[in-house]
Amino acid sequence: MAEQASSSAALPIARAVLRILIVLNWLIGAGILALLFVLPNERWIMSAFKLSPSPDAHRLVMGMRVIAVLGLASIPLNYLVLKRLLAIVETVRAGDPFVAANAYRLEAIAWALLALQLLSLVIGAIAKNVSTPAHPLHLDAGFSISGWLAVLLTFVLARVFAQGALMREDLEATV
Amino acid sequence: MAIAVKLDDVLHDRRMTLTELADRIGITLANLSILKTGKARAIRFTTLDAICQALSCQPGDILRFERE
Repeated sequence: MAEQASSSAALPIARAVLRILIVLNWLIGAGILALLFVLPNERWIMSAFKLSPSPDAHRLVMGMRVIAVLGLASIPLNYLVLKRLLAIVETVRAGDPFVAANAYRLEAIAWALLALQLLSLVIGAIAKNVSTPAHPLHLDAGFSISGWLAVLLTFVLARVFAQGALMREDLEATV
Repeated sequence: MAIAVKLDDVLHDRRMTLTELADRIGITLANLSILKTGKARAIRFTTLDAICQALSCQPGDILRFERE
């Protein structure tokens, strides 16, 4: 009973959290976009980060520009993941999650997560490349075992849902 | 599908309607209609058993393999 109560509470919580994350994602996207408008002004950045004009500082600013563009590319991917996850939660609420649509949604999520992991690798590599002892750039990006495991898990779950949907169809047509 | 459902023929022979059969074996009329029209993907042994008992027939009287 307690388990049932917690699972029934989990769905509205998941729904609310996902909706908040969708809004936050767009806000972050707007923030990155605003940053991209500021980033061309190298002199402003130099003064904001207290950087003295040097080839290293120029490389750092260039690296930050590229990272901001890549960060912007991650916004629609995040949206794709969150929106589809929300749709899956809705089908669970409706009591019918084993449908082919959810298998397709999970597969789309898996591909988006894969793209996000690749973006993270590129961002991590750029940050490492432009970072110097004088101008260190610390970013939470790069290779993540849990991230790649999530990609694998989502691809497997997509197959599980596809199989589950087929079984469900068979069961529905069983007399 | 190559398996044809001959429930209509047996019902006709027994002078029984689909609604009567549904009442006797406790299966919904909608499900029996799915079976009768050949739209079912599978049939449970329990359903087959109940139909054969109610109609005093063999499974082969209801289901027949027809080469397509």
